[in-house]
Amino acid sequence: MTPLLEARDVVKRYGDFRALDGVSLRLAPGEFVSVIGPNGAGKTTLVNVLSGLLRPSAGTVRFKGRDVTGLGPIRLARLGLVRSFQLVHVFPALTVEETLAVAVVSRLGRTRRLLARLSADAEVRRQVREVAELFGLAERLGQSARTLPQGDKKLLDVASAFALHPEVILLDEPTSGVSTREKHAVMDVLVAAAKRIGVQAILQVEHDLDIVFGYSDRIVALHQGRVLADGPPDALRRDAQVVAAVLGRPPA
Amino acid sequence: MTRPLLLAAAALAVALVPVVAGPYYATLMLPFFGYGLALLGLNLLFGYAGLLSFGHALFVALGAYVAAALTGRGVLAFEAILAAAAAAAALVALPTGALCVRYVKIYFGMLTLAFGMLFYSFLLKFYPLTGGDEGMPVRRPRLLGQAFADLDKIGFLTGPFYYYALALLALGTLLMWRVAHSPFGLCLRAGRENAVKAECVGVHVRRLRLAAFVLAAVFAAVGGALLVVPTGLADPLLAYWTHSGNLVFMVLLGGFAHFFGPLLGALVFILLQDQVMSLTPYWRVVFGTILAVVVLFFPRGLMGMLDPRGARA
Amino acid sequence: MLGGVFHAAVLFLVAAGLQLVFGVQKILNLACGSFYALGAYTGVSLVQWALGAGLPRPAFLPVLLAAGAALAVLGPPVERVLRATYERDESFQLLLTFALVLIFEDVIRVVWGTAPHQLGGDVYLAYGRIPVGRVTVPVYNLLVIVAAGLIALGMGLLLARTRFGRIVRAAAENRRMAAALGVDMARVSTRVFTLGVGLGTVGGALVIPATAAVNEMGIELIVEAFAVVVIGGLGSMRGALVGALIVGLLKALAIAVYPEAEMLAIYLVVIAVLVFRPAGLFARAAA
Repeated sequence: MTPLLEARDVVKRYGDFRALDGVSLRLAPGEFVSVIGPNGAGKTTLVNVLSGLLRPSAGTVRFKGRDVTGLGPIRLARLGLVRSFQLVHVFPALTVEETLAVAVVSRLGRTRRLLARLSADAEVRRQVREVAELFGLAERLGQSARTLPQGDKKLLDVASAFALHPEVILLDEPTSGVSTREKHAVMDVLVAAAKRIGVQAILQVEHDLDIVFGYSDRIVALHQGRVLADGPPDALRRDAQVVAAVLGRPPA
Repeated sequence: MTRPLLLAAAALAVALVPVVAGPYYATLMLPFFGYGLALLGLNLLFGYAGLLSFGHALFVALGAYVAAALTGRGVLAFEAILAAAAAAAALVALPTGALCVRYVKIYFGMLTLAFGMLFYSFLLKFYPLTGGDEGMPVRRPRLLGQAFADLDKIGFLTGPFYYYALALLALGTLLMWRVAHSPFGLCLRAGRENAVKAECVGVHVRRLRLAAFVLAAVFAAVGGALLVVPTGLADPLLAYWTHSGNLVFMVLLGGFAHFFGPLLGALVFILLQDQVMSLTPYWRVVFGTILAVVVLFFPRGLMGMLDPRGARA
Repeated sequence: MLGGVFHAAVLFLVAAGLQLVFGVQKILNLACGSFYALGAYTGVSLVQWALGAGLPRPAFLPVLLAAGAALAVLGPPVERVLRATYERDESFQLLLTFALVLIFEDVIRVVWGTAPHQLGGDVYLAYGRIPVGRVTVPVYNLLVIVAAGLIALGMGLLLARTRFGRIVRAAAENRRMAAALGVDMARVSTRVFTLGVGLGTVGGALVIPATAAVNEMGIELIVEAFAVVVIGGLGSMRGALVGALIVGLLKALAIAVYPEAEMLAIYLVVIAVLVFRPAGLFARAAA
């Protein structure tokens, strides 16, 4: 079966430094894959390449069997591949409702409507409400994004990605900045939303191994730009190399 | 809501100026319509898209010279002139905008300044075509087919032309209102807030900015055509970068975060300039100081002070 | 051709000032032309006064330099005013410098009026002429070119060898880091800005024997200064030098061949640079 998303021998060089050194991975429909690794292993670079923000120095990225290397985030978002950001990326001056509306408008192909009245567009408002409710943001629709607490900003970032009804979503540290107590709650919301919206596969970069082992079908361990291991959680736990390089010690 | 009521009152007040305040003030108000249109366009770029253009005056001048060129050749139907000005602006704005919107912030400002001065240089140097530093005269156009030949200059300007210009500004305002509150307007703002995130959500930021640039240019050109009918002369200085600077000044003065800020800015600038110039020829030092004060202490402009909660963030 | 180099020399001074200020403070000073104009007018007045007071003619050059350098005192107060906008959006800084442009325009009008001010040809030619190739060139032009060259050298040494220069380069690379390392950013900002202003005023003063000081000289210069900065790359000293040379020579070439296209030629190059090498010829890698 064709993988939904596939990276083949992706290399990303910065001068002499290889941030990614021949990384290959596949994401099949229905999978939840986590990418782990110490800082500097190349995780965010990988997400940037997969989501079209960076052009790889070598190698290809394929989405639904089609070569999308370097296509750029706009085209990829239209094709059904979106991402969220590790460092919170919001539209500070826009309200929660407006932020989600941008995504919905984009998905409905209405970004070029110059003369339509946005406030009168019932379809957009309905969908905005739907997504907001999935992420528990329905109460804050009128609040401007810059005044949201950090955790909600993160949720908003992720929610706006989900609002595009993507087939594949790349999450860059979705629970970073969220208190440990709430991490599970956030993940549950994400997984439920994904199911509700019809997201077919999720790839996340995550540091919290608790979360990683709790939610993933498969784990990819990255180290110094290379794939160290790629398998189900149990296999990784037993892999001594992975344990040494990435996990530090076996998780409790 | 009292907002529509206030607007209606303001529009009525403007409409009554020739009747109530006499020809002096009516003539004084004439530039307001042209500048109002130009500023509505400029603020689409600045307030909504976040792009500060120091070359907006290029399109004002373009509209002015189109009006001069056409009336000079006997084309006096103002509607045709306005359409031609709009078309010329769109034609020039497409390639220049395509280049300029690839850059942001300072580079955008410098590029637009450069294009503006390039046009100025063209207007100044190509004497046979443009009349050089003497400019090009603009003859009285026909409004809706009527020549109003029985009216003298003042009568025409403070009568039919005044209300024609007011109607044009009202139409332009309505149009721009719809654009600003459309999905397009929202996506423009998203692009201003965070271009990377906007792209990741599928918004083609650059294309939207180009559209905004072209639309702003069209508004400026129509405004430019309106501006030169009263003065009767299209002058190269219309394209000078300091004229662009004054346009930005007006927007800031009125408040860039409010839809109506630019209009208020144009009005206040014109009235203030008249007052100041009657007291001293050195209006620049006064206005420069005002600008500095606004930038330092009242960056949200007059509308920011009058209606702080009505602002877009 | 040499006229082009002379013009380039003066442009370099102004552009160097612009680049320095932009490199460290990320401010694009629209008023750099105004300082240039101030330097020019002050230079004329000071030399005229000095000559009237008995100064021998050949001594006018040091007086000009002194006039230009002395005006650098405007640096600290102006920088103080600009400081309020450092943390804000760049648009506000641009607008504040535009406010300065307006203010200085009228200050010049008030003090010096609207008629052009110039030193007589006898002052300009006080050092005589020299044949260079097939043309004779005023020695003054050569002196200015040499002076600009020396200043360029001086700037290079300042930035590369002195402690101040190192601090400036560090601050240009990474302001926050420099501040975290204990650099007094406020003092650096003031000094850098003052130096930038001084370069502009000296440039204006030096151009004065060759041209008249007119009201529009400040706002006209901006456009060329920007061309230099774009071609050379924002923030780069070497870029200022190369850019100034290119613009100066191009201008001379255009005037000789097809005067109508003077600005057009320059802007075509600007646009070409922006299309093919958007960061300019010598852009710094750091933001």
